[in-house]
Amino acid sequence: MERPMPELPELNPVIHGKLRLALLSLLAGVDEAEFTWLRAKTGSTDGNLGAQLQKLEEAGYVKVKKRFVQRKPQTLYRMTESGRAALAEYVRALKQLLGASMEME
Amino acid sequence: MMTNAENQELRDRLDLIENMIDEGRRSTERWGWVFVLWGVAYYAAFAWSSLDRSWLAWPVTMIAAGLLTSIMAGRRTRNHPRTGIGRAIGSIWLMMGVSLFVLMISLGFSGRLDSHLSLAIVGSMLAIANGASSMILRWKIQSACALVWLGAAEAGCFGTETQGVIAFLVATFFCQIVFGIYAMMRESRRPQVHGETHA
Repeated sequence: MERPMPELPELNPVIHGKLRLALLSLLAGVDEAEFTWLRAKTGSTDGNLGAQLQKLEEAGYVKVKKRFVQRKPQTLYRMTESGRAALAEYVRALKQLLGASMEME
Repeated sequence: MMTNAENQELRDRLDLIENMIDEGRRSTERWGWVFVLWGVAYYAAFAWSSLDRSWLAWPVTMIAAGLLTSIMAGRRTRNHPRTGIGRAIGSIWLMMGVSLFVLMISLGFSGRLDSHLSLAIVGSMLAIANGASSMILRWKIQSACALVWLGAAEAGCFGTETQGVIAFLVATFFCQIVFGIYAMMRESRRPQVHGETHA
């Protein structure tokens, strides 16, 4: 008798974008980070980085804070609790998918 | 069923998550230069107080070193992310500095400060701060610095004034200057950017 196929989880499309995934993972390791630091770590362009961070912000996964330090504007990003939960869920889903594919092999 | 390429893609994503989380955690500020700066400040204050016998030598040098540290730290850490580890270690050193300063000034004004007591207090406080930092960072070399400072504090308690001063100068050389230069060299070897990531 054939074993029933396990129900495979769907990967969260907001996090699935590679740059958005990298950004959330970077923010998971720090309290808050500046835009220029995120740009240096991901090697992304200003426009692309801004657009991806906005998507994460709209999904409620990151929070933005703007301030002036020595008269220079600074944009800080912080991961929210729902962002942390979404990343943890994404990792769980990835591992489940990988596990299922290894079982089939 | 997933193809090998899809499988690899999922594995790559897991690797990306791990690497990026590590990258964030590793990005604590670079503080090797502070050890060197304070080591030089200790020597400067010591030389000034020995030559001039002025009570101003230590407070003035320590205030100048404190100001210089805060100005330079403000510039160097402007774009660095804040991490829990960085905050924990920073708070230990800040409170050690404030406590030490207040205690020394108070003992000085009350007339109860002598060289044995000051060496014991400075040595033990630096041992506490180095020890706590080394436990957070799991850094054995800094644990060794904590032990050296504790040894200097003990020399202040049990040794003669000359022995205490020599122990303090030796501890300053190894635990501030040499350790600071070693930390700076280690920090400069740390990779900054790990490849590019695009959407």
